Amino acid sequence: MAMDAFDESAKERLSALADGELDGIEPGSACAAWARNAAVREDWHAWHLIGDVLRSEDLASDPGRDRQLCAAIRARLQQEPVVLAPGALAAPRRARWTVGAAVAAGCVLVVGTFAVLRPSDGTAPAVAVQGERAPVATVAAVEPSMAISASTVPPSPAANEAVVADVRLIRDAQLDRYLAAHKQFAGSSALGVPSAFLRSATVDTAPR
Amino acid sequence: MNSPDADAPLVERAKSGDKTAFEMLVVKYQRRIERLIGRMVRDVDLVPDIAQETFIRAYRALPQFRGDSAFYTWLYRIAVNTAKKSLMELKRDPLVTEAARAGRDDDDDDRRPDSEPSDAATPDAVLASKQIAAAVNFAVEALSEELRQAITLREIEGLSYEEIAALMNCPIGTVRSRIFRAREAIAARLRPLLDTREGDRW
Repeated sequence: MAMDAFDESAKERLSALADGELDGIEPGSACAAWARNAAVREDWHAWHLIGDVLRSEDLASDPGRDRQLCAAIRARLQQEPVVLAPGALAAPRRARWTVGAAVAAGCVLVVGTFAVLRPSDGTAPAVAVQGERAPVATVAAVEPSMAISASTVPPSPAANEAVVADVRLIRDAQLDRYLAAHKQFAGSSALGVPSAFLRSATVDTAPR
Repeated sequence: MNSPDADAPLVERAKSGDKTAFEMLVVKYQRRIERLIGRMVRDVDLVPDIAQETFIRAYRALPQFRGDSAFYTWLYRIAVNTAKKSLMELKRDPLVTEAARAGRDDDDDDRRPDSEPSDAATPDAVLASKQIAAAVNFAVEALSEELRQAITLREIEGLSYEEIAALMNCPIGTVRSRIFRAREAIAARLRPLLDTREGDRW
């Protein structure tokens, strides 16, 4: 089996990995090379010994000692069950906020959809507002951001009824094919309550 | 300021089941951990065993590590706890040596009291350490100004590539390349001192 060439650029990436400066590149191939290739392991050891010695000369150790400890640990690790705990380490605060906002947006979408589409008897919901009929257009499978503004349909000032709009679902052709394949969901009437599958939104158009 | 942990890529990889990534971290920290344990446990013969125990306990505890602290901080705590636990167990052992029993102080400096020479303290081992330290210093002095500055800012000052790039007024890619070439040059001088004997390879 031919040894994969661990060329200069791969070595430079290994050096960047030692500093945690891979800039998004996955360390997987560097780890694989380290596992297969004694020269890579020697480099990795030498570089870290150099860093230690530069900071503190009393960390200069007999290399045989380092090798022995690593060999002993490797042998014990082989006995250990593989640890599986994936999932990113604590993200910086900024990223966490972004995730939270996206989740909140999703919630508003779903809640908004439920508020607008409330079928009375399982058929396509259509409720007339007292007096006037607010013309609406519906769009299927929209971006959450669009849906947010769209789903906050203002409740009729006069009404105690929550539902305001005459709603038609414009179905996405791809979605139709998917639903047909999964027959249990064919036809929105089969769903007593609109599910998040059928992403839709209403957009208020100005009354003429 | 919350700078990202340089160990994060390898730690995440280890948490995803790659034992190699963890071994790479062992190589990185074994010397520091052994020194720490050596300060707590006077009997230096115990150090490799306690160090080994430390790293295995850390491996098993990886699922609990969430990155709230730096990886080394977390590893450091495990080392201290492991050393203390070992000392407690030694106290119960009637055959404990005088040196081990005395090893409860952890506020001493790096010097060890006169004791039987062990693996770490044989004249050969001490000489090897001194030679390595001397070789590293000599090699760094022999580097060009740019390479020396890059490796010094990284290893001694602990600056990130971005910070070094700003300081040295060059692109980050250049920083990366200079640090790499500095390492290669120093390692080349170290190679004769680090050379493996038969049957004792990495």
